[in-house]
Amino acid sequence: MVYALVALGYTMVYGVLGLINFAHGEVFMVGAYLALSVIWLLSTWFGALPFGVTLIAVFVFSMIGSALLGATIEKVAYKPLRGSPKLTALITSIGVSFFLQNAVMLICGSKEQSVPEIIPNLQFHLGGVTFSLIQVVIFGVSIELMCFLTWFVKSTKTGMAMRATAENPEAANLMGISVDRVIRTTFVLGSALAAVAGALFSMNYGSVNFHDGYLAGLKAFTAAVFGGIGSIPGAMIGGLLLGIFEGLGAGYLSSEWKDVFAFALLVMVLIFRPSGLLGENIPEKV
Amino acid sequence: MRRVGILFLLFLSTNSAFAKENEILIGLVAPLTGDQAYVGTGVLQGAQMAVEDANIKGPVFGQTKLKLVSLDDQHNPTQAVLAANKLVANPDVVAVVGHFNSSCTKAASSIYHEGRMAQVTPASTNPEISRQGYDTFFRVCPTDDVQGPTAANFVWWKLGVKKIAILDDQTTYGKGLSGEFHKKFEKLGGTVLRHDGITQGEKDFTPLLAKIKSVNPELIFYGGVYPELSLLIKQSRKAGLNVPWMGGDGIFDVSLIQLAGPEFSEGTYATMLGVDPHALPAARDFVTHYEARYGEMGSFSAYAYDATNVIIEAIRRAGKKDRETILAEVRKTKDFPGILGALNFDEKGDAVGKSVGIFVVEKGKFKFLEEVKP
Repeated sequence: MVYALVALGYTMVYGVLGLINFAHGEVFMVGAYLALSVIWLLSTWFGALPFGVTLIAVFVFSMIGSALLGATIEKVAYKPLRGSPKLTALITSIGVSFFLQNAVMLICGSKEQSVPEIIPNLQFHLGGVTFSLIQVVIFGVSIELMCFLTWFVKSTKTGMAMRATAENPEAANLMGISVDRVIRTTFVLGSALAAVAGALFSMNYGSVNFHDGYLAGLKAFTAAVFGGIGSIPGAMIGGLLLGIFEGLGAGYLSSEWKDVFAFALLVMVLIFRPSGLLGENIPEKV
Repeated sequence: MRRVGILFLLFLSTNSAFAKENEILIGLVAPLTGDQAYVGTGVLQGAQMAVEDANIKGPVFGQTKLKLVSLDDQHNPTQAVLAANKLVANPDVVAVVGHFNSSCTKAASSIYHEGRMAQVTPASTNPEISRQGYDTFFRVCPTDDVQGPTAANFVWWKLGVKKIAILDDQTTYGKGLSGEFHKKFEKLGGTVLRHDGITQGEKDFTPLLAKIKSVNPELIFYGGVYPELSLLIKQSRKAGLNVPWMGGDGIFDVSLIQLAGPEFSEGTYATMLGVDPHALPAARDFVTHYEARYGEMGSFSAYAYDATNVIIEAIRRAGKKDRETILAEVRKTKDFPGILGALNFDEKGDAVGKSVGIFVVEKGKFKFLEEVKP
């Protein structure tokens, strides 16, 4: 589920800009750190709060923080490169990723940070399957955000502008759409989703580290490609399936091969269905 | 701020590779950035302190001054080899402290051998490294063929456990340690129900833990470092797998308890190389100075201090800036009064007679249980 949320960010940016933003995993990691700071600040200022309140505060603040970060990255690193070859921006995104990783290491330290548990550890049993409250929260929040995003892109004016830009940036510009603004919105939305994913991730595992974004980003990228990069429902399905494959692979075959499954999947998709399960959403090539 | 300082220091040290005539350089390579920066920093500080202490006492010979050149191997064997080549190429570097991770130490050892440069590792415990037969390799820590069997003996005789599961993180260190444990435990007559591997940096172990739960082990041994173990412990308790965990020196860190939560980590066993420096009278001065200067001590800071001092002593005895002479002097080290006890090397360069301490987590702290002499 978390993969799906991060994959959405990849897909959206690719759809609009044709850029694979490798720094996206790091935005996710920063989101996790922001969540940790918010939890920590709330508990020192206000003591024990009902977990629903903390949860909402965590989401709101880490979303705002990461959205700002996303917008800044776009402005500082990618905007000056617009119009230059796509490879330049791609390499820049790898640089941004290294920069963020090491900046967070210097600010927060290189040790794993433990995240206090704010969601009570409740277990539910449903027909032989056990799941915990945090898993329910992750599921619910992810579904909600995906529905919101689908609605946003399909039905709002900004969403329509986004689709137009994805189709043909120049024509969109001629039609009076501010392409810069659309791109900025895309980064803000994608980063906010990554922040929620980061917050959920840190709460689920109870620890964060500055290099967590790397593997998560890579897996999300796989999910995005798997589902068909550029396609929003593709990213959702890709993320879900990737998680299921990994879990089943680790459970029934061998846990040593867990990452191998994920990336073997990526290679297979690239070989046999380069445009992903749902097909790449690039009408511009037509 | 301190970390920024370290980075700046690093920057300076790489820039000042051209030493003045009277400067003697000692190399240090450890993971200073990347996923294991937390331990590497502790190693760097330990070595830094040894060099500073030596310079306060006056020049080792003539008008010379010692200096530490630190390089970062990022816990990556490729980077380790690059760093080793860089040190060997610099004629002012006479010996090296490092590396930290067994995988890196092993990869770099042949380069130091070719460069005729003494290499003293503070922490790489994989037994294979010294079996390569390089006369330039030394270590101040015991090896996993001591640590693993000690742990197996403890589990079998003291805990009376007969059926276990083993996990490792598939690194040179983790695989080596769990392999030695595995061999010894089966030799004792115990049953190893499963032996699985995980990937470093992985976060979700629930499918694997479900498999382990289904075979009903009495204890789970883990060869690896604490960040993954803390998640394993936490997720195993949530999955209703309530058996004790045990690991080696790589899990011996208070962060394990913080990350896994005190209530979950209670009853986790760990073997540690030697005893806790805090409990040693000879290390008292070192511990006080270290904590005053850098704050909390890393698990391997004291080893790095001893490793660096072995080299400094050898330079003092050699009396000249020559790698081969210094190497010969390191080999001649006899009953070196390290802060972690007297130090001798065998013909392979391994430390002789280093004991292994066994600890258990009790009330949120590592409690010393017993010291096992080889």
